[in-house]
Amino acid sequence: MAEVQTAESKGKQKHAGKKKKKRIAIRIDMTPMVDVAFLLLTFFMLTTTMNKPQTMEINLPPAETKAEVAESNLLTLRITDDFRIFWNIGTEKPTTVEGTNKKEKLVALGKLLKDRNRANPKLITLIKVDGKAKYIDMVDVMDELNINDITRFSIAPMLDEDKKIIGTL
Amino acid sequence: MAKTKRVGVKIDMTPMVDVGFLLLTFFMLTTQFKPQEVAEVILPSSHSVFKLPDSDVMSVTVDKAGNVYLGFDAQPMREAIFGPQGKLKAGMQVELKDLGRLMREARIRNPKLRTVIKGDRESDYAVIQNVMEILQKENITRFNLVTDLER
Repeated sequence: MAEVQTAESKGKQKHAGKKKKKRIAIRIDMTPMVDVAFLLLTFFMLTTTMNKPQTMEINLPPAETKAEVAESNLLTLRITDDFRIFWNIGTEKPTTVEGTNKKEKLVALGKLLKDRNRANPKLITLIKVDGKAKYIDMVDVMDELNINDITRFSIAPMLDEDKKIIGTL
Repeated sequence: MAKTKRVGVKIDMTPMVDVGFLLLTFFMLTTQFKPQEVAEVILPSSHSVFKLPDSDVMSVTVDKAGNVYLGFDAQPMREAIFGPQGKLKAGMQVELKDLGRLMREARIRNPKLRTVIKGDRESDYAVIQNVMEILQKENITRFNLVTDLER
């Protein structure tokens, strides 16, 4: 509570009529203000969001350009809706990426991509994801490419022919 | 037995209060309130460390059900594209067939616009693929996918 002691000292002054003013000690209880300050502090500390969302940058070739790529330089990744990953180079027969769960498959995929890119630096990765797959599947694959520093990739829609090749149709 | 005498302990709280106020000012000045969202979206996680740009953002949000929303961070842009009723909303639901046209209009107004896709992790890839095809047709070949940091 605020205690302002002025009444007593004022009376004295009148009586004495001295030139020198007496210093008045004012004591204000700061507790409520500090309480409020700390309350606000906790509020701002809890509501503040320090991390901004991350983003993944994608560069796609414009729609009109048709790039000619040698078959041996093209690695096609096909991802099915139940997250089986098929890969092949050129017109080879597709092989699956082995793994018991999604995480293992992604790790295996990363390793595979790294090895293949080391073997052939001109390799271009083409990603075809089934339309019924989830968005997270595609992001996970893209993430694996980003981690392994593979910047030369493109995205193409999964056509019926692709489904025939991997035997899901 | 002698009664233990109560000792009045007085602690000077001033330094603590000082630090408290310092922190309070810091948090008050640095805090940024979450921008309002068009739709509830659970972002997929990735290891990417690119930060979302602060301004000139055009976002295409795809929610779990496959609805597509177009949003802008700048209020004048929202008013120009969606009319006065869209000014205060972060974005509006759009049909896929209108998306290309609206994005073209927006990019004519502000060529510096950066396009980001905010997709729900559970949304069908087909919708995202359609959006990306539209982007490609509109010659937006560089865009960003908004993700959360992988834990």
